[in-house]
Amino acid sequence: MIEKRLERMGVMTDRGKATAYGIFSLSLLLILWICATSLFQWIEPRVLPSPTRVIGQFAWILTEPFSGLRLPGHILSSLERWGWGVLTAGLIGIPVGVFFAWNPWFRTFVNPVFELIHFIPPFAYIPLAVLWFGASTATQAMVVFVAAFPSIVINSQLGVAQVEKIYIDAARVLGASQLRTLWRVILPAAAPSIYTGLRIAISNGWMALVGAELVVGKVGLGFMIAQGQENASVATIFVGIITIGCLGVLIDTLVQRTERFVLPWRKVAS
Amino acid sequence: MEQSAGKMASGTTDPAPEAPAKLELRNISKWFGPEGEGVHAVDDCSIEVKKGEFIVVVGPSGCGKSTLMTVGAGLEEPTHGEVLVDGKPAGPPGPTRSVVFQKFALFPSETVEQNIKFGLQMTGVSAAEQEARLAEQLKIMGLEQFRKSYPSELSGGMQQRVAIARALVMQPEILLMDEPFGALDAQTRTILQEEVQRLHREKHYTVLFITHSVEEAVYLGDRVVVMTRRPGRIKRVIELPRDVAWKTGDIELASEHPEFIEFRREIWGLVREEIVSI
Repeated sequence: MIEKRLERMGVMTDRGKATAYGIFSLSLLLILWICATSLFQWIEPRVLPSPTRVIGQFAWILTEPFSGLRLPGHILSSLERWGWGVLTAGLIGIPVGVFFAWNPWFRTFVNPVFELIHFIPPFAYIPLAVLWFGASTATQAMVVFVAAFPSIVINSQLGVAQVEKIYIDAARVLGASQLRTLWRVILPAAAPSIYTGLRIAISNGWMALVGAELVVGKVGLGFMIAQGQENASVATIFVGIITIGCLGVLIDTLVQRTERFVLPWRKVAS
Repeated sequence: MEQSAGKMASGTTDPAPEAPAKLELRNISKWFGPEGEGVHAVDDCSIEVKKGEFIVVVGPSGCGKSTLMTVGAGLEEPTHGEVLVDGKPAGPPGPTRSVVFQKFALFPSETVEQNIKFGLQMTGVSAAEQEARLAEQLKIMGLEQFRKSYPSELSGGMQQRVAIARALVMQPEILLMDEPFGALDAQTRTILQEEVQRLHREKHYTVLFITHSVEEAVYLGDRVVVMTRRPGRIKRVIELPRDVAWKTGDIELASEHPEFIEFRREIWGLVREEIVSI
């Protein structure tokens, strides 16, 4: 009741509340971190460096090359590999998923293979990718692809399969061919589910990429963390981890924001 | 197509002297699942809709009347029997037979005007013609101010107006309506019933209209086909007076007219038998 009234008074909207809670919990974490390190030294600096130490290292990597590149360079090369992997996964995965739903016979035929592939962790492909592509951008992009592909296919297929028959009937009665029904009726109706698949793919791909970079390559955020370990620089590792987390959130937020433009009718539906 | 038409002509058993019915459902039976084991929805139904006629099919829920409509539209193949338009096999669904569905079936990702233009774009109508026909329908159905709205922004009544406009804009030879007002509240339903009545009187559409409402049947129909419970058969066909004053006015007034009351009693009696005997 009180919340309702506050909302009406414009004090707190749902979104405002979520942001407020977010800021609150993150600040709490930061305070805890400061207490544990700089303030009371509960934890040794070589185990957990203080925020100031991490920020200092952050500023340093930002201006001085670390293992060949400055921080923005590592970020860009990670983003590039991730982008290629997710892009190819989307370009191939969406049509494959749509085709699966469109053709039930094909689905029953291919699904067992697909289920099997689904259970192989993306990292298991790293040796294969290295043998195929050497230590190139394509290697990590392939790992991203493998991590991103299943959720795109599965969600695209689900989205198309869930389109109510009555819409397809309506399109047929209005004289639409199968192809145009697919384009104007089925794909838009399936789009929210395809979008969900993409979002899962994007985060799976991001995580797999960091894993792949730990093992292969000479650039990227994962590589930077691995170098932090080599040089016994815990602060570098923390800079890497925090950057990875923040970029992940940023990418997901951006993708979420685009949904409103790509699917304009959804804002009124939800 | 031509072959089967030829065969029909040579097997001259029934060509009537007058023009063939605009839409004819001939001895339609429909099984869902294997015949003899699945669900027997419709059994040997024949309905003729002449040009400009408004035929209402009424029956208890689950009697297969909606199946009759989907078969008539070409969306389902009948197990037995055939669907004819102007005496020729009707073939796949298409814009000569427009359909208004109970659940509107508006495309959620398209605005009102995109929905209405959909069929025109599919059938290659010129852009100028599309705009002209769209404007006409928006005006007739009172949708001008909603042309840029998405279906989810509209009330049920407004959505069904869009669905009717989307069907009428195709200038169909036959209009099939499957309980179009079943999902609407009572007031909205009354208004749309009167509008459909007016449209039919002005434009002489050929309509096959499915409903479970006896009032709706008496008010709108030139002829009312009463169906039995499943498997749906035709129980009785009742001719209603066509050019009488009570049919052209408000449904409120019509429902007080002695003739209306008499027909309603008769048809309701027939429908009730089917419900009660379960």
